[in-house]
Amino acid sequence: MIEAKPQTNVMTGADIVLSSLEREGVEVIFGYPGGANLPIYQRLPEHPALRHVLVRHEQGAAHMADGYARATGKPGVVFATSGPGALNLVTGLATAFMDSVPMVAITGQVNTSVVGRDAFQESDVIGCTLPVTKHNYLVTRVEDLAPCIRKAFHLATTGRPGPVLVDVCKDVQQASGIFDYPDELTMPGYRPALEADLSAIGLVAGKLAEAERPVILVGHGVLLSGAEAELLELAEKTGIPVGTTLLGIGAFPTEHPLSLHMTGFMGTGWCLRAVQNADLLMMVGMRVDDRVTAKLDEWAPRAETFIHVDIDHSEMGKNVRPHIEVVADAKRALQALLPLAEPGPASRRTWLTQIEAWREEHPLRYRRSNGHLQPQDVLLEMYRRCRSEAIVVADVGQNQIWAALWWRYRRPGLFINSGGAGTMGFALPAALGAKVGRPDKAVWCVAGEGGFVMTAQEMSVAIEQNLDVKVVLLNNFSLGMVRQFQDDFYGGVRSHVDLRVMPDFMKLAEAYGWHSARVARAEDIGAAFDAAERTPGPFLIDFQIDPEANVYPIVPLGKGLDHFQEEPYDI
Amino acid sequence: MTSNRVRVLSLVVEDDPGVLERVASQIRRRGINIQSLTVGPVGGGRSRMTVTVDAGHAEVDQVAKQVDKLIEVIEVHDITDDPIVSRELVVARVDVPEHARETFLSRLSSFGGRVVDALNGSLVVEVSAAPDQVEGFLSLLRPYGLSELARSGPVAMRKSAYGSSHK
Ligand SMILES: Cc1ncc(C[n+]2csc(CCOP(=O)(O)OP(=O)(O)O)c2C)c(N)n1
Repeated sequence: MIEAKPQTNVMTGADIVLSSLEREGVEVIFGYPGGANLPIYQRLPEHPALRHVLVRHEQGAAHMADGYARATGKPGVVFATSGPGALNLVTGLATAFMDSVPMVAITGQVNTSVVGRDAFQESDVIGCTLPVTKHNYLVTRVEDLAPCIRKAFHLATTGRPGPVLVDVCKDVQQASGIFDYPDELTMPGYRPALEADLSAIGLVAGKLAEAERPVILVGHGVLLSGAEAELLELAEKTGIPVGTTLLGIGAFPTEHPLSLHMTGFMGTGWCLRAVQNADLLMMVGMRVDDRVTAKLDEWAPRAETFIHVDIDHSEMGKNVRPHIEVVADAKRALQALLPLAEPGPASRRTWLTQIEAWREEHPLRYRRSNGHLQPQDVLLEMYRRCRSEAIVVADVGQNQIWAALWWRYRRPGLFINSGGAGTMGFALPAALGAKVGRPDKAVWCVAGEGGFVMTAQEMSVAIEQNLDVKVVLLNNFSLGMVRQFQDDFYGGVRSHVDLRVMPDFMKLAEAYGWHSARVARAEDIGAAFDAAERTPGPFLIDFQIDPEANVYPIVPLGKGLDHFQEEPYDI
Repeated sequence: MTSNRVRVLSLVVEDDPGVLERVASQIRRRGINIQSLTVGPVGGGRSRMTVTVDAGHAEVDQVAKQVDKLIEVIEVHDITDDPIVSRELVVARVDVPEHARETFLSRLSSFGGRVVDALNGSLVVEVSAAPDQVEGFLSLLRPYGLSELARSGPVAMRKSAYGSSHK
């Protein structure tokens, strides 16, 4: 007798969700259950290929997925329930959206019969996340489920990456349907510039070869497309110096003689001088936002040629109108440019000598003589131990800019931070996500105490998932960056920035099952790092730093880059 | 009605729920005022939108690029300076006394308008006209009270066809 072939592809919507994730090669989901996604959680144990990380707050899930995605290049996946669960994702989605990070969030929604009727735990998640996602879908029919998830992954990972949300009604998760994962997608409105428009590359090469004072500025796009090697080769072949945005840190080795390090309103003095005196600026994989330009009409006043390379057509001229546009993925554009690149005119040497002089005139420096522990001493020691290999995840505030400015890598590396949204509380969960994705790498998390406590509950995840992440807490007993802004730009009125009432961080660490150390003097830095490195598992060091330490250089708000101020104290 | 600051965008979009909100929200985000917006299905699961916005050329150029980036937007064109066919539908209620009716009707037909409903002295009239003729039509109606008015906002189309837009 011939047995009928079992119809294995008939399954519930919940299984369709999970099978779709398997088909996408998803390895890990960061999530939190609740009423509207319980059908999915009920089936999750039947899909052992999908590792689930139970977070302690949905914002943590979004940041973990974000850190995972930035560290691996693969899309991060998030689960949350309807209403408050999904709304808790919003900050994390916005953070990923601003920084073009690939992510797929799958949220439970109330039953189709009650959508729009203020049912229990209903909120308009499509409406709420519309401006902070690349796209989103509400799924009300089981046959739309697999195609929507397929589209979500395609959208999240192609063109300019970004988060995509799929909101799945609970009855759709329970309905049964045929699992048929589509290969072909019809999205007539989505044609990302995958095929690079390289028609202007010859022109770009010619301009680069002629320029006497050229500067290349690069952003997150170079890291997202993995173009670090091409960038290094281009710089060396042409002898053009390279500066990075805050999100571009890691794209170019800071220890390289052609490195201008970081640009923007808290960039290095020699980079800002170079930008302000350049005759040609090539911007690659960046948005040229207000943090980069400071006062726009005083930005790069001597530049005769702006070249903009970006995958997103709508970035062309959004802030600065380029003379030459290359709408392309950074890697493809640089690959096309390399064979045409030539060393520039002899006058280029004078330009590099000039930059060298600026580097000596405006070095990064900090106050060392007041008896306090200085954050820079801590970070220099941390970077020494990173050996240009560890992943560093920074939070937001002074700690972030210090970690960026003192980044010392001989080769490209991974520096992860929330640059576009500036989301405090990002670092710890993002570091945990990065460690989940890259268990082979040491992961250091740098944070201020203000941001750290915003998501500190995720410390439990480190224990539960056995994630060996080291936290460098730069504890200055205040909302340091805000305090500095108040001191410098808001009349010196210190208003609600005092954070002396905080938990004892060693006790907090202990309560969560972490090991920890506390350091208040420079001479104890090494021993604490030794202990952190020697101890397997998560470790927090509470560095009690100079409460008056500031970030320099800084351009006063509303001023042009020429007005950057340096550390005013004697060293 | 076309001052320098009024521009007309013509879009072809996928006819999905929410696409109107996505387009409107993208324009609203840049602080641009939408003067009128018409949308209607054109077959094949697609709709055409005509959006008239109060903004300058450069602003609209940028907004058009951002709208074009929306996944469900298939084409966007700023057709303000192109040879276009543009029509607006106006429906209005007027009170025309018996003795004035004949003159009114002849002037109405000179605009290509017609009466669609009549109840006692109250007439509902309609006209489809190029947007710059609508004002003239309204001034014909004003002496008769013009107690209710509904305007569709312009729908527009380029006289010659386009190739596909860049995305
Ligand atoms: C969620 C959120 N709220 C508020 C801010 C505004 N903000 C930017 S930096 C900063 C201070 C951060 O203080 P802390 O975490 O202690 O770091 P520090 O600047 O002292 O290194 C604040 C409040 C923000 N970026 N994110």
